[in-house]
Amino acid sequence: MMFTIFKKELKDTLRDRRTLIMMLVIPILIFPLILNIFVGVSSSFSKEAAEKPIKIGFIGSEESYLYEKLDMLPESYGKKEFVMYSDTNSLKADLRSDSIQIGVYTNEFDAYLTRKEPAPVEVYYNATDMGIADRAERYIEAVEGLALQERYIDMNLKEEQLKPMEVGYNNVASSKEMVGKLAGGILPYIFIAFGFIGCMYPAIDLFTGEKERGTIETLLTAPVSRLQILFGKMGVVVLSGLLAASCALLGLFISIEFLDIVQDEQLLEIIHSILTPQFVLMMYALLIPLTVFFAGVMIPIAVYAKSFKEAQSIITPLNIIMVLPAMVGFFPGIELDAVTACTPVINIVLATKELMAGTLDIGLLALSFSVMLVLAILAVIVSYKRFDKETNIII
Amino acid sequence: MIIIEHLRKEFTLSKQQRKESATSDPIAIAVDDVSLQCKPGRIFSLLGPNGAGKTTTLRMIATIFKPTSGTVNICGIDAVANPQEARRKIGFLTGSSGLYGRLTPNEMVKYFADLYGIPRNEFEERKQKLFNLLDMNEFANKRIAKLSTGMKQKVSICRTMIHDPEVVIFDEPTSGLDVITAENIITLIRNCKEEGKTVIFSSHIMSEVDLLCDDIAIIHKGRMLHNGTMEEFRANMQEKSLTAEFIRIVHENKSEAV
Repeated sequence: MMFTIFKKELKDTLRDRRTLIMMLVIPILIFPLILNIFVGVSSSFSKEAAEKPIKIGFIGSEESYLYEKLDMLPESYGKKEFVMYSDTNSLKADLRSDSIQIGVYTNEFDAYLTRKEPAPVEVYYNATDMGIADRAERYIEAVEGLALQERYIDMNLKEEQLKPMEVGYNNVASSKEMVGKLAGGILPYIFIAFGFIGCMYPAIDLFTGEKERGTIETLLTAPVSRLQILFGKMGVVVLSGLLAASCALLGLFISIEFLDIVQDEQLLEIIHSILTPQFVLMMYALLIPLTVFFAGVMIPIAVYAKSFKEAQSIITPLNIIMVLPAMVGFFPGIELDAVTACTPVINIVLATKELMAGTLDIGLLALSFSVMLVLAILAVIVSYKRFDKETNIII
Repeated sequence: MIIIEHLRKEFTLSKQQRKESATSDPIAIAVDDVSLQCKPGRIFSLLGPNGAGKTTTLRMIATIFKPTSGTVNICGIDAVANPQEARRKIGFLTGSSGLYGRLTPNEMVKYFADLYGIPRNEFEERKQKLFNLLDMNEFANKRIAKLSTGMKQKVSICRTMIHDPEVVIFDEPTSGLDVITAENIITLIRNCKEEGKTVIFSSHIMSEVDLLCDDIAIIHKGRMLHNGTMEEFRANMQEKSLTAEFIRIVHENKSEAV
């Protein structure tokens, strides 16, 4: 009986255009679209910023070492032209109005150079002009490097003589661990966010919707227990959540594999080594009780609400409460321990991160899974109590 | 056969409901000490103004609501203790069709046949018989949402009768329907009687009652004001028309129970 209800509700749900869009179309398209736009815009912006000819406002002598060397820098450093200024006020004003992009002020540069003293150089830039600070630093460092080489020669010194230490910094974390712990939060976040949205419309439609349309009364006259009806419907809500989340992951996978979003070969290799069938299976094992929990939280609300609108107005803010903790995964310092393993939603995010990094403690995994399982069972019990209350299901 | 004895249904009122109803009583009594018998091959009409408790009574018979006290017996089954077993004997039809708009009539009827556990060949036979009878073959595979009210009502009838119930409950089945569509329901009720089924229907349309019923009960504010055969009712009428007699009984017996 339960399967008969499940089959019918699934068919009904898959014929609802609104649910279909929220459950399949948006999750599949969102990442290819967003990432394509983001990568396209940011790469064209970086390219444009690097190639853009800039104007350097200069206060100081055109015969100075600094001016000459800056002027001589090859075009690979980016095209540039100079505008001479006599005071910093007009230079700053032109920087603000974007008439020039970099300002350089130096006084008696060559005298300092001759005395073998550090020559003061003030560099002005507008930080809202993205990438310009890097470009200014590149120009100045290039000239500084040239001056330094000349000074070594002048003083008959070798560079090594002024370098007392040769330090090597060695990272013991594997690349997989680095990607897992630093960027691993995104995967469970996507799953949780889309899992919640995926559950939302079917939950409202199959419970509040059925009440609003008056079909529940007919269904209750059939020789099926309310528990069977609840389980049949809940199965579809959970499946919809999992489908929406899977579609979002599929969209992300398409973006990575076919749309060349990740151009770093090494990073791509690490991502491939993480996304093994074993990892995917383990992740679903963690996420299924979470989705049941989501469904179990939404169903009592959907059962209680008298209209689709009312249910939507209660469940939508709940989305923030449920999905916001998943953002914890974006902070690198927070790890899975006994406390976080007992905190719903957060435990799943952190466990998935550890799973990706390959550093998961099996005891903490079991604890996280058990906590979610207990909560899922509780949510099902609450849903049943609500659904069994006759005044809740008949308007 | 339906036998109900001393049926009572209370609803707990929320604060807001109490405020809306201007009462301090935490409980509302929807049905109070109602007893009746509906016999096979006879049509029982439950009459009463809006809010009288007709729908609540019928919902208790159909096991949608659990009575606060009293008994409901459907074809020898204690419907309070064994609701699922009792439901196999019942067909329930309301004025609002209660159909799934995204399914087709074929899918809708099959869904309910599966819920009632009807074997496949028996289902096909019954479905074809009902589809032919109600002239439904033309729209059998159209989405229900796209059907006219009359077509929807036919699907409802088919859904109600697919498991060949012994007891058929009609809750204001013609409300909101045009005369042509309502005629389908009237025919169905007559057919049920001819087939020896137990029929109970609620209505406030006196012409329907006059046309169809063998037994009549009048209910007001949850309490039974009259219960007897239609012949007795007609014989004891003090007013000229059924409608006038119904109004007289309701007004005269506001606080009395039969």
